[in-house]
Parts: sequence; structure tokens; C-alpha cells
Amino acid sequence: MQNILRKRGLLKVEGQKSFLDPRTKLLLIFIEAVIVLATAGGERLVVFKAIFTVLPFLLLVTIRKYKTCLIAGGILLTVMCLEYFVFQNVKGMAEAMLVIVITIVTRFLPAYVTGVFVIQTTKVSEFKAAMEKMHIPDEITIPMCVMFRFFPTVKEENESIRAAMKMRGIGFGGKKASKVVEYRLVPMIACSAKIGEELSAAALTRGLGKSRKRTNICKIGFGICDYLIFVLAAITMIYWILGVIMR
Amino acid sequence: MIRFEHVNFSYDANPNEKILSDVSLEIAGGECVLFTGGSGCGKSTLLRLLNGLIPEFYEGTLSGRITVLGKDISQNGIYDLVGKIGTVFQNPRAQFFNVDTTSELAFGCENLAMPEAEILARIDMTVVDFHIEKLMNRDIFKLSGGEKQKIACASIDVLRPDIILLDEPAANMDYESTSDLRQLIQIWKQEGKTILIAEHRINYVWDIADRVIILDRGMITKNICKNEKNTFTDMMCQKYCLRSLSSVSVLDMVEKEKQGLSNKTKNMTEANLVTNPKLELTDFQYSYGNTEVICIGNMDITENRITAVVGPNGTGKTTFLECLCGVRKNIGKLKFHGKDYDSKARLKEIFMVMQDPNHQLFTESVLEEVLISMPDEDEDKAREILKELDLSEFEERHPMSLSGGQKQRVALACAIASERKILLLDEPTSGLDLTHMLEVASILKKIKEQGRTIIIVTHDSELIEVCCDEIVKLGETKNLAV
Repeated sequence: MQNILRKRGLLKVEGQKSFLDPRTKLLLIFIEAVIVLATAGGERLVVFKAIFTVLPFLLLVTIRKYKTCLIAGGILLTVMCLEYFVFQNVKGMAEAMLVIVITIVTRFLPAYVTGVFVIQTTKVSEFKAAMEKMHIPDEITIPMCVMFRFFPTVKEENESIRAAMKMRGIGFGGKKASKVVEYRLVPMIACSAKIGEELSAAALTRGLGKSRKRTNICKIGFGICDYLIFVLAAITMIYWILGVIMR
Repeated sequence: MIRFEHVNFSYDANPNEKILSDVSLEIAGGECVLFTGGSGCGKSTLLRLLNGLIPEFYEGTLSGRITVLGKDISQNGIYDLVGKIGTVFQNPRAQFFNVDTTSELAFGCENLAMPEAEILARIDMTVVDFHIEKLMNRDIFKLSGGEKQKIACASIDVLRPDIILLDEPAANMDYESTSDLRQLIQIWKQEGKTILIAEHRINYVWDIADRVIILDRGMITKNICKNEKNTFTDMMCQKYCLRSLSSVSVLDMVEKEKQGLSNKTKNMTEANLVTNPKLELTDFQYSYGNTEVICIGNMDITENRITAVVGPNGTGKTTFLECLCGVRKNIGKLKFHGKDYDSKARLKEIFMVMQDPNHQLFTESVLEEVLISMPDEDEDKAREILKELDLSEFEERHPMSLSGGQKQRVALACAIASERKILLLDEPTSGLDLTHMLEVASILKKIKEQGRTIIIVTHDSELIEVCCDEIVKLGETKNLAV
């Protein structure tokens, strides 16, 4: 199925190197979650909330994901317009609906965009190197690395299964509508488990887990951009804490 | 270097079945040995005993003595063998721990905690030796099966093992990829590595192997040394249930067919050509984004026949089938029995058996699987179909618990049950041994006799030889070199 995608892969240089260290990205995810998603600090941090809402979109631009950036940005802008111009004029059911949509989009979308950026730009070995530098034990790091490896696999399996169901006329609109979820999950779990088993056999023969200390050829380190984000994060935090103390 | 003395083995999962019985053999350093035989003959087990996956990963009972590199295997844990023995596995999708190719090459060395500079130097050497510069720094998920297998070989090579085991490495490969793999094995041979290959498809390694050992139900039935190899013919292969010795490119078969040289064309009488109506494709197109993958101006496929669709890697053969059966929406017309079908209408008329049958078996029992495929559920009829395909004894089994070949038969049973007139198959015989391949061929012939049109995408020249009536080449697609 992916024959052509593969072929295209031949011609495109992949994996543009990210300018942020994986540790900075983790910090970024944390800050996005606290400031934008959980809207900590309330009114006082509104400027910072704005900054951290825009920042993920700028990051997408740096990795040339213009399309995702435009679509997500468009959705966010539309919803914000709704919030400022339409929201005051509606009542009842419509108001409740609008509140839900506005909350979900303005809070979750920036965090989601950050997630897209991090996933797209972080190699598994970079992530592993970062976790090692932070002295996180292998028991936590390795399962997380396997997850990185497994997302694309699950996606591939899922696509094939979806195609098979469509071909056999099983779907919400067709035969056996009540069992669609089961039919979809069973082969997916079976296939993923099989791949997982083969994968661990292969990893064992190549010495995964042999020595306590492993090397990593991936170089990670902080640059100017990392420090800028640190400073920004620090200012946000200090300003927030000051607010809490002085109240 | 490697010595087996009266080795018997059975897996704990099935203790009554002897996988290896009284195997004794000795392999010298630098030898390249090919192990072959039908599925379940014990060739993969032999390799697993050497690389430590037995007993670390698969448990079983072993008797007899196996020594590797002068040490009894019971003294070696799986980790002691890392860097001494390297294994390339069958499934290209399931032997990667990383998502990008460069990290993957470094993976084994990193696990051994080698210094960084050493790892990078080793990677450089391997990349140059194997000519895989183009594959570096790439997303593994976007490589073809053949390319993935090259990366798997390279990631073993950076560990510089003395012994290299290959467990059916070419099961899912086309002719072009197998010749690439052959080159890599030759590089190892020149470096003086000891190489053990377990494989059904023997043609691509036949002449580089120093020795061929044929196994049958766990016993060595024939040991062919270098000078005997020339006298071993295809006739003898059939006796031992082996795949053909000669490697034939399916693309060459098309050329022959065009020139009227093949037997098929000769056998086909004019009358036949006239009476059989055609399934017509016109302006059949599909593109991913701006890249046109499939562009067929006009293609005729004779109804009620078995047609093989061939083409080099990356010509969108699988995509073609997916469009044909309507899973992918595309532009183009299919005319069948004088009626035009669009993508949606085709979904109801065409059944597709996918390359990995795991993806299309959903239910809890084989019988139920067949039942949901029927337009009107009819248990007696379903049982009849299962009987026809020798599946009666598995009626109540969970499809996922069956063997690969049996799963494929279940998928074929569903195809018959669906009563759809056109059947598509995607590489139905990749990784099958001779017996199973012939089985599939005979089922297909039966289905044809029921008045169905069968279209197979395949790179298996033997399958084409045995059961296909016609052969069509999917044209090189345009715009690929953007």
C-alpha cells in the first residue's frame, strides 16, 4: 500500500534536525499544559498565555509544516472570533455549546500543536539520550522508546484493517454494525502483539539490555533557542509565584 | 566452528512433536551453508538454537550436544553471543527498534557500550561496503521491504560477527531485491564469515552456497556438497519439495509472452480468445497528492481466467488492487458484463485477499468468518465451502490461532462465500514452500472453474507458471522522479 510513499521517501531528505534539545521540548510540553491547557494563574498570566498559545505555531513554521500550521491556526482564529463577537449575543443551548467548543479548542489546540512538533522532530535515540542525561532509569525510558516505535506500526496495521473491513462491507453503515469495534480491535491487537514479539526477539539478539551502561551516538545539547525558552519559562513561573505570594 | 551432535529438540508448546531429530553436522569456519526444506522442517529452529533465542525466548527440550566457537551452547547466554553471531530475520517490519536508519545501525554497538567514535567509524565502513549511502538518515517506515532488509543486514554487519544467520530473509522479496541481498551475502562470504541461511527460495543463493542441507521433519535428508550441486536439478528439487533452482524475473516472462515464446501463448487457442469476454479498464488513474501512481489508458483482463499482474517494485501494484476493488477511490471506469462500475459499486462486486491475511480475519471462529462474508448467511453452504478447502476440522477454531497457510485458506473461503465474481490476490505465495504454493494454485484453479475472474499481483514466477493463464505488466508510472 505504501509503495509510492516509500518511493517518494527516496527522494526527500528526511528528519530535518530540530534546533531544540529534547529536554527543552519536555519543558515546553509541561509549560503548555500548565499555562494554556490548565490556564493556571488566571487573569494575571493572560499575556503569557497569549505568548504560549502562539509559540507552538511558530515552531511548526520552523519545521516547514505550513499546512498543519495554517489549518490549526485557522481553527483557533475562527473560534477566538466566535468568542469575542458571537458569544455575548447567544443564550441558552447555543451558549452552552459554544462554551464547550471554545474551551476545548483554545485550551487543547496549542498543546496538541506542541505535541505534533515534538513528535515530528524528536528521534528515538535523541529522546533516549535526553532521558539518560536526566538520570531517568531505563525501566521508564525503554518502554517509552518502544511506544515511539509502535505508533507508526499501529497506524500501518490500522489502515490495512480498515481497508479490509471496507472491502468486506463491514462498517457502521453496513453489515454487523454492532460489532465493528470488536472486529477492528481484535486483528489489530493480534498483529501488534505478533510484531512486538518478533521485535523483542530481534532486539535481544542485538544485545538490548546487555550492559547497564549503553552509549548513544546521538549528540544533544542546549543552544541559544533552548536558553531563550528557559528564560521565558522562568519569567512566567516567577511572575506567577510572585502573584500568588503578594495576594 | 559449529558442531551438532545427535541433537533432538521439541518446543514446550508442543512437546510431542520432534522439531529436530538426531541432527549431526559440522560447519567449518568461513563456510556458507544453505538449509532448506518445506515449512516446519526445522531449519529456523536450527538457527534459533545457535543465536540463543532458544532457550532465552522460545522454550523447549534439547538433547545432544551443540558447540559453537568451541563452547557448548549451554554455557553461552544470549548476551554472550551478541557481536559473535548476528541474525537477520524474516519479517522486515519487525526487526527495527528505532525509527530512523542511522540510529538503527548504531543500536547493537550502543547496547555493547562501545565508544562513540568506534561506532561511527564502523557505521561508515558498513555504509561504504554495502553501498547504502542513500538509505542513511531516513525514516525506516518509509523504506520498501527490500531496503528494510538491507538495513537489517547492515545493522548486523556493524557488530562484525564471525557467524551470520539468515532466517528466510527473502520471504517477501521480489526478484530485484533478492539479487541485492545476494550481493550482500557475497560480501560477507568474501570477508570469510561463516554464513548459515535457512530459506525456501533457494535460487538466489544456490550457487554461492558451499553446501546445501535439505531437512525434512527435523531430519537431514540430503547433504549436497559443492561439487554435487551441479548435478542437482529442478526435477530433484520437486522430489524434495523445494522451490525451483532457476530464478526467473517475472518481467522477463512478460517479454517472452509478448514474443509468443512462452508455452502459455502457444496453448491458447484463437477460439478461447474470442469467446471469453473481457473486463475493461479505461482511463484508470490514481494519485497520492500530486504524484500520479497509476495511469492506465486501457487494459483488458480476460474474464473467467487467472491473470498475473507484475511490475517492478514501487509501480503501485498493491495500490492498483486497492483501487480496483474500490477501497481507494479513484478516477476511471471498469466495464464488466457490459456494465460500468465506479469505486463504490466495485466494493460489492470484487473480493480482495490481502498479503497479510491477519488483517482481514475479524471473528471468533472460522465458520463465523465465512458466514459474515455471505450475502445471506447459510450455515450448510458455509460448511460445504470449508470442506472444499480442507478446513472442516478448524470450523470452531479462532482464525488467529491458525498457521499462516491456513489463515490464507480461510480468506479464500471467505472470497468464495462472498459470491463476488472477481477475486484479487496480493502476493498470495510470498514465503510459502512448494507444497503450500501448489495448494494455493489448485484452489485458485477450482475457483476459476466456478466462473470467477482472478487477478493476482505476484513476483512468484513459479506460481505464474503453474496456474496463471495470462500475464500483464503494470507500466512504469510517470512522474516518480519528481
